[in-house]
Amino acid sequence: MSDATDVTKELDTTGLNCPMPIIRAKKALKELQPGDILRVTATDPGSVKDFEAFAKQTGNELLDSLTEGDTFIYRLKKG
Amino acid sequence: MELTNIHYVAAIGFALAFVFGAVVNKTNFCTMGAVSDWVNMGLKGRFGAWLLAMGVAVGGAQLLELSGQIDLTESIYRTTTLGLGGLIIGGLMFGVGMTLSGGCGQRTLVRVGSGNLKSLVVFIILGLTAYMTLRGIIGVARIELIEPLSLDLAEQGIEDQGLASTILPWLNIEVTDGLRWAFAGVVSIVLIGIAFSIEELRSNFDNWFSGIVVGAVVVGAWVITGIFGYDDFDPVPLEGLSFVAPTGNSISYLMTYTGSTISFAIAVVFGVIAGSFVYSVISRTFRIETFSQRGDMINHMIGGALMGIGGVLSLGCTIGQGVTGISTLALGSIIATISIMLGCAITMRVQYHRLDERGVLSSLFGGIADIVIPWRKMA
Repeated sequence: MSDATDVTKELDTTGLNCPMPIIRAKKALKELQPGDILRVTATDPGSVKDFEAFAKQTGNELLDSLTEGDTFIYRLKKG
Repeated sequence: MELTNIHYVAAIGFALAFVFGAVVNKTNFCTMGAVSDWVNMGLKGRFGAWLLAMGVAVGGAQLLELSGQIDLTESIYRTTTLGLGGLIIGGLMFGVGMTLSGGCGQRTLVRVGSGNLKSLVVFIILGLTAYMTLRGIIGVARIELIEPLSLDLAEQGIEDQGLASTILPWLNIEVTDGLRWAFAGVVSIVLIGIAFSIEELRSNFDNWFSGIVVGAVVVGAWVITGIFGYDDFDPVPLEGLSFVAPTGNSISYLMTYTGSTISFAIAVVFGVIAGSFVYSVISRTFRIETFSQRGDMINHMIGGALMGIGGVLSLGCTIGQGVTGISTLALGSIIATISIMLGCAITMRVQYHRLDERGVLSSLFGGIADIVIPWRKMA
């Protein structure tokens, strides 16, 4: 579940297409400390695969990837 | 209506493009995504898919040409005019545009098919600006400002802008059929080899499958227009797959239907949309997407215009030049494709720096430096 109490920072990328959700998440993570959690909301269907690949490649753990209506919600733990 | 050669060519083109649209939708093949994955994540799988498409297309198209089936010097890519200004300026513009509007020409069509109304806006603006650059008011600027920045290779005794025809005379080596075969074989094998050396391509079905299909569809287009459609009395232009000028021509065709004739390229535009639509309905991924932010809408509109104008100046998009043009081994296609990639990658880095609330110029210089200075460590 996306537990809001664990989240260090929220990032809203709703309405934006690839590559903006990834570029913004990359920027937001840079400003966090290891172990901090970034919660990203997006509406781009392509972001599901993008965030899976991003987490795998960058060593930031994708805690969960949820769909609520037309919105995709990701929680990334900075590695 | 009496059916003629062009109707049969268009019908088969539609079917081929239908497969392309469905496969691209399923596999997420995307040239902008390919650059994004690499620049933003260090992942090369989708870039490998693009290289694989090039390699397959080069192999197939060159086999057709060197065995005497088609003459690629009849295509727009291998003429003796090397439009350096248009290829570089247009390519850079197209690269910027495809990043701002979330995907290149073919991706726009695929997204239109899957219900993305943002891409429908891009489609219309891209088509209109492409047409304006071909035949309208922007065409005046193209002729006055861009066309003079061209080289006439014929003046230097070069017969066409194919790699073998341009490189070998420069090395004082006579161009022979054997050397043409060698060039074609080496380029095709190297591209396919580089693609398969990328682990993320080998391990991902969608990546290698889409690369092979996109390359094969381009070869199929050469076969349809060059062999199947070959008719002395009712000729059709020799063309591969291309999406910028054809999008403009498609809009014109719809508006002047009763006085117009279908072409292979127009049928391809509609085929890609239809293939993507059917796949998205079957896979239950069809959904209406609209703009929700002012800035996003402005970006998409500017991006559409840059792709429309830039795509005509550079004689093609990431598929038109980046796979079809490359398959002819034209020097101009290599220049255009690299320009598109650079424009796209630099824009991504500019967008990244802009998030620091840096000024436009500072972000621009930072973005250019990130991409063109290989040893610079990117943030």
